[in-house]
Amino acid sequence: MTSRTAEATPPAGTARPSRLLRTRGGVVALAVLTGVVVGTLVLAGTGTNPLTAYAALATGAFGPDNLPDTLSYVLPVLGMATALAIPLRAGMVNLGGEGQLVLGAVGALVTGLFSPLPAPLTVVAALLVGTLAGASYAALAALCDSHLGVPLLVSSLLLSYPAISFASYLVRFPLADPGSSLPQSERLPAGVALPTLGAGQISVGLVAVLAVVAAYTVVDRRTPAGYEVRMTGLGARFASYAGIDRPRLTVRVLAASGGIAGLVGAILVLGFPFRFIDGALISPQYTWIGLMAALLAAAHPVGTAVAAFFFAALTSGAFEMERITQAPRELTAIVQALVIIVLATSTGLLRGKGGPR
Amino acid sequence: MTNTDNGTNHTTPRPVVRLRGITVRYPGVLANDGVDLDLAAGEIHALMGENGAGKSTLASVLYGARRPDTGTLDLFGAPTRLASPADAIAAGIGMVHQHFMLFPGLTVAENVVYGAEPLHRFGVVDRAAARRAVADLVRRYGLDLDPDALVRDLPVGVRQRVEILKLLHRGARVLILDEPTAVLTPGEADRLFTVLRGLAAEGRAVLLVTHKLGEVLAVSHRVTVLRDGRRTTVLRTEETTAGDLAAAMTGRDLDLDVVHPPGTPGEPVLEVRELTVAGRGTKPAVDAATFTVRAGEIVGIAGVAGNGQAELVAAVVGLRRARSGVVRLRGEEITHAPVADRRRRGLAYLPEDRGEVGAAGQASLADNLAAGFHRGPLLGRFGFLSPTALTRHARRIIDRFRVRTPDTRTPIAALSGGNQQKAVLGRELAHQAPLLVAEQPTRGVDIGAVQAIHAELVAYRDAGHAVLLVSAELSEIRGLSDRVLVCYDGRVVAEWDRDEATEHRIGLAMAGEAG
Repeated sequence: MTSRTAEATPPAGTARPSRLLRTRGGVVALAVLTGVVVGTLVLAGTGTNPLTAYAALATGAFGPDNLPDTLSYVLPVLGMATALAIPLRAGMVNLGGEGQLVLGAVGALVTGLFSPLPAPLTVVAALLVGTLAGASYAALAALCDSHLGVPLLVSSLLLSYPAISFASYLVRFPLADPGSSLPQSERLPAGVALPTLGAGQISVGLVAVLAVVAAYTVVDRRTPAGYEVRMTGLGARFASYAGIDRPRLTVRVLAASGGIAGLVGAILVLGFPFRFIDGALISPQYTWIGLMAALLAAAHPVGTAVAAFFFAALTSGAFEMERITQAPRELTAIVQALVIIVLATSTGLLRGKGGPR
Repeated sequence: MTNTDNGTNHTTPRPVVRLRGITVRYPGVLANDGVDLDLAAGEIHALMGENGAGKSTLASVLYGARRPDTGTLDLFGAPTRLASPADAIAAGIGMVHQHFMLFPGLTVAENVVYGAEPLHRFGVVDRAAARRAVADLVRRYGLDLDPDALVRDLPVGVRQRVEILKLLHRGARVLILDEPTAVLTPGEADRLFTVLRGLAAEGRAVLLVTHKLGEVLAVSHRVTVLRDGRRTTVLRTEETTAGDLAAAMTGRDLDLDVVHPPGTPGEPVLEVRELTVAGRGTKPAVDAATFTVRAGEIVGIAGVAGNGQAELVAAVVGLRRARSGVVRLRGEEITHAPVADRRRRGLAYLPEDRGEVGAAGQASLADNLAAGFHRGPLLGRFGFLSPTALTRHARRIIDRFRVRTPDTRTPIAALSGGNQQKAVLGRELAHQAPLLVAEQPTRGVDIGAVQAIHAELVAYRDAGHAVLLVSAELSEIRGLSDRVLVCYDGRVVAEWDRDEATEHRIGLAMAGEAG
């Protein structure tokens, strides 16, 4: 019991968290502040004027020339953050986002290359196939958890690697671009592409991802399924007691998560450069930055979106900062990591427990 | 360490511990408000109060686990500051916690000397000396313990004696016991009291933290009563009665032994036949249990914790698999049905662990009260859950069961234990299920709430529902049940109608003596 009644006695030696630290918002603010302060110190330590650096960071993220780049980076990070937030909401961790993302991309690629349908229908089919590929692969990890006793953390992570390798094989051999020595697929046929908005740099994929965020928000707040997911996350034993079938919920939650990851992969393949390049979905760290955002927001739908936007802007702006001030852009990774570490330690403090019960 | 003054003159106690003006503030709660407490050498002093009255907080101040915001401590006549439990132990204060702090894989002797081991030269633990020291203590206090037994093989009551030995080995002159009888059979509790009397006779001071009136009257010399963080009174036990103490705790006079009128049993609702549930080892946790609960009756299962009741209930409600046997609900077999299915067919369940099982602590009260209703009556248009419906539903239960809460968005864990229990019970009763399984319905709940909960259970029965009650409180079993079953060692060893079920008979059956 964690009730704060008069009978509850905090263990010896634990400082009482201040009033600020008793709200999630306070903890997040503290974490972000710490990240920024330490980031500033590191910047100053490298001999850079922090103000110049932050100005460059802001221009790099939101300047008129750079905003489209930032938004195209926001799309996968936001998508993956939402995908990974859903299981997190039920107290489960899907570490296989990369594999599901890549399989979604591969599914869309194969559909795009070989579909006999007219181009607009092919695009729709490619999105569906990508979503299904990610969903079923993630559901497989869930089945390993519920039927074979392999913890989800392990099954989802380990299933990720063969998926990545499989995609890598496909674009080096059967689907390789004959005109290039790079490990990349052929370009999708003309017309098999998501339409773009504005100056042509923002894909409607961003709209699709925002729609996913909106759907997650509604499901989380307003549906019995969202209610069951939240209750499972807040109290697994309470959920079973109330009649929620955990194995079934796990499969469904993972399928939703993997489906969104697959959709993101499909959207990325259906946008510039309209092909699958080996490693292109892995090296920008979409999945892990998305997971950090979801963790930061405790998987709250809107909070996750805000955090994903913040991290994406930070990462995107870092290029400009590096160009102008010579401060390495890895610095922003330090800030992000610090935010998570401070958050993890202070939420531990919040619970007032020194260790496992 | 030996106190030569064996004359236990309780009329002029020599203060060993003097707590003055202890104030402890938790966020939003004044847990202790200027509390004084005196402990004399040679006395057993009961510290009692309802849940949330501040007993545990005061005990943890004396044990050094909690530094008071204001207030002083004089120990053996000298002002003392305790910064940690280690300080308290060094100063001669020891505590037996509700949850024992023992290493199950080590022997009694090893557990007792842990942290204060006798050493050879070169700092090696002197096992022989440790054994001897423990054997001496065992003999001196008549504790009936084998120093070489592994703790994991010992029953709970015996483990508690190991905890006491630990304190004695470290030379504790002040012993604090937090709700020590919660896990004991009546027989074991009597043995504990004998040990405590022996310790007091030797000149040690014993602080007994409890909310059970009976044991306060049976064993203590003086009582300090707390209410809402304040000390309401200090009484000499021989000059007081259960009614006085109850009044001091609650500010009301209570009729403590209400026996509700019997019910009028109808059709069988729950039928359990030869139900066997696997245990940890080869021995089943529940061994061929057979009984029936009919509409309009309360069937009480008595037993000391760990005798199979918990597993029996888990198998009935679907949280644990039955190895063999049959469970029928209203004539339909549900032996292997999932929880949701059983609930749909008419089962509600008030679990023993309301914090972890009956509620999701950090979820709002409204969310907690919606469980089980979220796929039915609370759905609005297009299958969406409407927050207004959730709030209205929660309000209904809150008003009906007088749950004290700031609002419906408060996390349920922020409510007091009694209010959490009323909320969870309210939700389960609101299902109007033909069968209610109520497990320890009033554990850790104050007397006012106990009466309210009992009245609700009886009213539920009188509305024609079947109630299966599991409780370790004999008075509760006897006050409510139309029939009484006793679980011992995984078996249902006795079944009596309410008139035959005397406290004495039940007590014997719970201890495994006769049927």
